[in-house]
Amino acid sequence: MKRKALIIPCSGIGKTYGSVAREGAYIVTEDLRPKSTQLVPLALVVLGDQEVQQTLAGSPAIAIDGCKLACAAKVVAESGGTVAHALQVLDVYRRHRELKPAGIAELNAAGQQLAKALADEVSGLVDGIAAEETSA
Amino acid sequence: MPELPKRKVGLVSCSGEEMAEGTVTRLATLKVLESLRPDETVTICLPLFLAGGEGDRAFARFYPTIAIDGCEKRCAARGTEMYSSKPVAGIVVNELCPAGAGELGTARRLNEAGMAAVNAVAAEIARHVDRLLGTRRDRSRDEYTVGGPAVKEKVPGVATCSCGSGIPVKVLEIDGRKVEILALPLILEMFRQAAKPAVDATAAEMLETVRLYNRIPEGEEALWKLALGREYASYCAEVR
Repeated sequence: MKRKALIIPCSGIGKTYGSVAREGAYIVTEDLRPKSTQLVPLALVVLGDQEVQQTLAGSPAIAIDGCKLACAAKVVAESGGTVAHALQVLDVYRRHRELKPAGIAELNAAGQQLAKALADEVSGLVDGIAAEETSA
Repeated sequence: MPELPKRKVGLVSCSGEEMAEGTVTRLATLKVLESLRPDETVTICLPLFLAGGEGDRAFARFYPTIAIDGCEKRCAARGTEMYSSKPVAGIVVNELCPAGAGELGTARRLNEAGMAAVNAVAAEIARHVDRLLGTRRDRSRDEYTVGGPAVKEKVPGVATCSCGSGIPVKVLEIDGRKVEILALPLILEMFRQAAKPAVDATAAEMLETVRLYNRIPEGEEALWKLALGREYASYCAEVR
């Protein structure tokens, strides 16, 4: 059985980019690649939850961060996970400057579209990981 | 003149991405930060306790903190205690608003019951904030008092986080122990800019300011005052 890619967004609560990271992760894991991905809550990784650590040890992770502090990528790496790809929402925004996100509790329309653009990028990375595993 | 952060209450939400209750914690925390108690609360992302620096890990030692968790795993409460300091209060959504699977909606989209849970949790957070700050709200006038004249409620703002801002600390040797004192760099500079002389009375005044942000063990006031006085004299000499 092929391993699922772990999608781990940051828990960014005070910045709109954190909400984009969260929404993008939902789009990938629920809509675009539900069979080949698994959402992992970062709080459980922070706490060192044993089950989550076993999951981290066995599968590649894609970390999605809302700010340059890169909590998701750092915490996954420190917890023994393999960060196959680390994405910053700000980088995705730089590629889609027409989609200026606003709102935290509720993203505006541009924020939702930016989350979709982010999710498309993540889906491409998920496919890349799957292809590598198939050819290995 | 450097400004010391106003005494506020810290909110740490688990934000659990995989369950509706996690979304409830996130939205309830945001509601308090943005509209219910915007001037009295501050937040930090839980993972920053692990990914950030010492200043970030000082968060719960600096602010009395409320942990808001979605489930009995209590990641926010336990994580805050593990990496920063024990929260002074904790709220668990599935204890405050028990609901069966799917009754609150999904993690991505809460339903009406989920939004009602957000309001209930936000109200509970606000109640704790008022208790911790000793404020009383007069709902009939939409005002609250802070041990003095009534203050008009502010227009709802946008939540911001303390991520990466850190809290400046300085280590002093007190009674042969290394003690980390929160906000001391700011306090030293504030006193220097006020041209306060490095004398005993200033050390006593500084002790009271330091006490706002740090717990001074019983019976150690004189030792702290002595250490602060020495540090301030040395700081003024260096800056001069």
